[in-house]
Amino acid sequence: MPILIVLVLMFLKVGFLGFGGGYAMLPLIFEEARNIGLTIEQFADLNVLDVLIPGPIAINAATYVGFLFGGIIGSTVATLTVTIPSFVFAPVLIKYEDKIKQNVYLSNVLSSVKAAAVGLIAGIGVLILVHNALEIDNLRQIFSAKINWFLLAVTFIGWFLHDKYKINPIILTIFAGIVGYLFHYI
Amino acid sequence: MEQQEKTQLSYWQKNWILFKIYFVTSLFTFTGGIAMLSALKREICDKHRLMADEEFYNYAAISQTLPGVIAVTNASFIGKKVNGTSGMFIAAFAAILPAFVFMLIATVLYQLLPKEGPIYYGLSAIRAISAAFIFSAALTIAKLNLKNIYNILIAFICFIAIIFGLLDAIWLIIIAIVVGILLSFKQKRGEQ
Repeated sequence: MPILIVLVLMFLKVGFLGFGGGYAMLPLIFEEARNIGLTIEQFADLNVLDVLIPGPIAINAATYVGFLFGGIIGSTVATLTVTIPSFVFAPVLIKYEDKIKQNVYLSNVLSSVKAAAVGLIAGIGVLILVHNALEIDNLRQIFSAKINWFLLAVTFIGWFLHDKYKINPIILTIFAGIVGYLFHYI
Repeated sequence: MEQQEKTQLSYWQKNWILFKIYFVTSLFTFTGGIAMLSALKREICDKHRLMADEEFYNYAAISQTLPGVIAVTNASFIGKKVNGTSGMFIAAFAAILPAFVFMLIATVLYQLLPKEGPIYYGLSAIRAISAAFIFSAALTIAKLNLKNIYNILIAFICFIAIIFGLLDAIWLIIIAIVVGILLSFKQKRGEQ
């Protein structure tokens, strides 16, 4: 299949199943992009760029994945595709504001999909961590892991600083880069 | 007086204001979301008086319930309400433009970075910290959403399935949607 059609189908799926926005959409993007050949490193890089670049996560992700697989045209097509659900729902539902807000089905679906997102996002965090610091693809391969204590420490110290002391992620990212760079010379 | 101000704005003026508001808010908001809302509200309701506060918050709340990019859905609702279909597309376009342009430039530059030597070690450390941001995001959503046994169970099953590579995320999300619908049936029956 031509790559542009692959990108359109992929981001239609991401858009229309993307309840909860932002990070909640990331697991679908991860999986769909992995299916067309995105590596775990490239996905981790996407997360880094997302922290550094302003704008909605799904837009950043569509631009990034679209560019890697289809150049500037792919990037434009992917970004426009992921916005399609908005243009479908907003004009249709603008007449039923109050009904949507109190719709039992929608609010329950949203709640359970966000719960799923918690598990999926945490799981993807673990996959990035084990791939990066243990050089394995999932936990079934745990016995062949080669532990890189430095990278393991960066993740947990970073998490602690970000969550506990609310240190700006941009500063943490730059700092991690510098520490990693210097660590090479030690 | 307020009513007069509203009618004085022409079609093109309204589109220009929508463009400006969404472009600027999107430009200064990292990772999207709630942070955008207060800035948008100030511009749309207080400064330009395009709609009432209550109406604005109503659209903001609906945008979060629907699938899709929340910031774009929000722009579509408010753009459509303020200036019809052209308003919808212009507000949405302005909301994605800064992210698209900057991300494109960043992606191109990122591809140029050397993939070996000390830079590579720096990149590895940056990837390690990206896992930290992901854990933080999961924790934030968990605090707001894991409030009943069903949700905790769903989260746990999804986590296990992903880390051991047992089931695809898309199926897990579809299962979660079905569980949400079934719980609604149960809830409705309980009310009757």
